[in-house]
Amino acid sequence: MSPIITAIVVISALTGGLTILLLIAEFFFANYGEVTVDVNAGEKTLKVKGGANLLSTLASQKLFLPSGCGGRGSCGTCKCRVVDGGGPLLPTETPYLSDEERKTSVRLACQIKVKNDIKIQVPEELLSIKEFETVIEKITDFTHDIKGIRFKLPEGETIKFKAGQFANLFSKPYDEVREETSRAYSISSAPKDNKAIELIIRYVPNGMVTTYVFKHLKEGDKVKLIGPFGEFFLRDTDREIVCIAGGSGLAPIRSIILDMIDRGISNRKATFFFGAVTKKDLYYVEEFKEIEKNHPWFRFVPALSRDDSDHPYSKGLITDVVASNYSDLKNMEAYLCGSPGMIDACEKVLTSKGMPKTQIFYDKFS
Amino acid sequence: MKQTPELDLVQSKMQPGVLTLKGFLGSDDRKLADILVADQQSFSRLGITPLQAAERLQQLADLGADLMEEEILVEQRYRIKVRDDRGKIPSPWGDGLFEKGDVDLIDNSTGETLKWNRLTLRLMSVHGFCGGVDSEYRLDPEKLMRILDLKPEAQS
Repeated sequence: MSPIITAIVVISALTGGLTILLLIAEFFFANYGEVTVDVNAGEKTLKVKGGANLLSTLASQKLFLPSGCGGRGSCGTCKCRVVDGGGPLLPTETPYLSDEERKTSVRLACQIKVKNDIKIQVPEELLSIKEFETVIEKITDFTHDIKGIRFKLPEGETIKFKAGQFANLFSKPYDEVREETSRAYSISSAPKDNKAIELIIRYVPNGMVTTYVFKHLKEGDKVKLIGPFGEFFLRDTDREIVCIAGGSGLAPIRSIILDMIDRGISNRKATFFFGAVTKKDLYYVEEFKEIEKNHPWFRFVPALSRDDSDHPYSKGLITDVVASNYSDLKNMEAYLCGSPGMIDACEKVLTSKGMPKTQIFYDKFS
Repeated sequence: MKQTPELDLVQSKMQPGVLTLKGFLGSDDRKLADILVADQQSFSRLGITPLQAAERLQQLADLGADLMEEEILVEQRYRIKVRDDRGKIPSPWGDGLFEKGDVDLIDNSTGETLKWNRLTLRLMSVHGFCGGVDSEYRLDPEKLMRILDLKPEAQS
């Protein structure tokens, strides 16, 4: 054997041996034992095995913080206040935290290793978030790039959510995606329909989860969902309502309208402007027309921006259609769901007609 | 430029299935440092800068914004369509989250196309990363100069 090959073999053996020694050492010596996670000043006390990151530690105890990247430190959404025991702020957290958040001990849960007792504060509503192992009951092709999916919850389980909120859907590893990945989608079903969740999903070219949904999911498959999340829901006022949505943004608006029917809210007029490009991009039209027929307080206005065919719908950009329907919006409130571009354009129109920004609520897809 | 451990980490996040389905490199198997140097040299040779190109692309994207995915003809030459998607995408450099959604441009005079988004503009303007050689979002300096009619900075 040449001296070079001998040297390579010896170095490889030494490196391998050291790696094994390190792993053994970590197993025996880096055992943090049982630690306590105090949530919201004693509201919940979790006894957990130390060593994992805070996000996964909390998830193992069925306490779910919002996370767009599944704990890879790349989305910055799993924020919580760490009152004590979180250790120093890490460089991997700083890009995602504002000065105010740093001052108030806000941290990224996915970056903090739970090594000792720790005290955290999370928004109250997060304590009611649950994980569901669902089964796909039905997949409906609404348009060429939008599907509706109904997920049946496990027998005996129910979900409590506010119409307008969203859930995180998890894709399993597939093709080159080697890890479970999650993305947020608005719930389109009514809160009363609490043994299932319906989501409306638009295909995103090269999207990791939507590609999984469109190319791999089929009826009968098991899928993990966590929710509900979000601050987009109908406010408890008497104001007339203007709802505006485009594409899959119809989802939370549908949930809100169905919920108004279920709760018998008939003292508030509501108009739903649904923008699409051509007729083939419209869906749920029959359902909303039926609601309009049965509930005098509801009006449905689909609008097509580029369809010269003979159709009964409004013509033009949804912003122009909304503008042409109102002269003064100061006593109404608006619920918008769609792309950031659509939301910004709608907000300009609504405020130009007198609607205060405090009466405009939106789910900006971000 | 050396391939530092930091660039190793960035390059690992550029692989398919990590931050995006197809990744940022296409089939380009060079070290990230070599990709950055090669594009930096191209920009220098052409006399244009990544920031100059990024600003022009952003200017064109702004013209197509707020149209809810309607295609628009700009300057009697470019067909531009801006698509917004839900969610944000993280930078492989870990320096921020960027709203998803692509801008597609077709140069009517040649049929050449460009595709970019908020993240790829950031990667080019701040980090000098234009994408792997055959990646879908590659913003090749020569192609940018040709399609966008960019003039060398000294002459502009």
